[in-house]
Amino acid sequence: MSKFKKILIFIIIVLVGIQFIPTKRNESMVILKTDFTKIYVVPENIQIILKNSCFDCHSNNTNYPWYNKIQPINWMMESHINNGKKELNFSEFGSYSKRKQKSKLKAIINQIKDDEMPLSSYTLIHRDARLSVKEKKIIKNWMGQLMNNIE
Amino acid sequence: MKKTMYVVAISMLFLTACKNEKKQTNAEMQPGMEMQNNAKPINNGMKTNSMMQKNKRNNEYVVTQKNKTTTPIIEAYLDLKNGLADDSNGKATKSAEKLLKAFANFDRSKLSEEQKKKYIDIEDDAKENAEHISKNPIEHQREHFESLSVDINDLVILLGTSKTLYQYFCPMVGDGKGAIWLSETKETSNPYLGRKTPTCGTIQKQIN
Repeated sequence: MSKFKKILIFIIIVLVGIQFIPTKRNESMVILKTDFTKIYVVPENIQIILKNSCFDCHSNNTNYPWYNKIQPINWMMESHINNGKKELNFSEFGSYSKRKQKSKLKAIINQIKDDEMPLSSYTLIHRDARLSVKEKKIIKNWMGQLMNNIE
Repeated sequence: MKKTMYVVAISMLFLTACKNEKKQTNAEMQPGMEMQNNAKPINNGMKTNSMMQKNKRNNEYVVTQKNKTTTPIIEAYLDLKNGLADDSNGKATKSAEKLLKAFANFDRSKLSEEQKKKYIDIEDDAKENAEHISKNPIEHQREHFESLSVDINDLVILLGTSKTLYQYFCPMVGDGKGAIWLSETKETSNPYLGRKTPTCGTIQKQIN
């Protein structure tokens, strides 16, 4: 057996092997009291946008696509979700101080305005997570109003 | 005996005077908040107008408690402001790191319970803003500088400073809503617009 074949077989074994490593899923049946949609009245159209484009990485509930079952894709996703939740977790929004909530809303508006969020690496695969110009405007306006009304 | 009576009476006077001053500071923060509430934005134009009115009205002089413990925080913030006004991503990054250190070294033990609660709130938000500033390009730094300026301004009101500071407002930034910053000089150098438009900004308030 050539050296090349040996390496190939080794890679295949590793790839198959890592599929059996159990993973933790970012899914929660409970809606926390601190959930964004619990502490503020969020109209349905806004909720739909948030669910489609934000909650996968910024809440305790990821809507997993089929290919997340494949490693190492799932690991990449996991690190995305962890980083996303660390910056902003809509499920725990109510646990932030009012000051922080306002900062987060401002940051949300800015990130959308600058086309930083949703991440292009994410929308590349999740085509339906992309925000249209109209959706961007709707969400920015609504978040702006909410920000001004938080005491 | 009479002498001590006088001393007590005079110090009482001073104490009440101080209290009034504090009340003023609080009262002055209220109208802005109410405005924002009343503004319950139906359209954006309305909002901008009410904000501008509010900012035109305020042209005040506020005296805070003399407090040197906040100096490292304020100085790091001012460095950051100057870095952004100079369009320097590097200087801003370094100052944001300095600010994080200043917060880490701040001694909370002398704060009252109520002060501590408010301080933690401010620090928590300010640190997050500073972290973002310390590792991002200048546009993003300026976005977080907006929230940070509100934090530092509130910190100065809460704990006081031994410095003289000026609170500036420029209506051209912050998505048309305008934004504030604090400065140590009467010369306008806008940290949001940088060298391109350094002179946008009016002094709203002098602190000390």
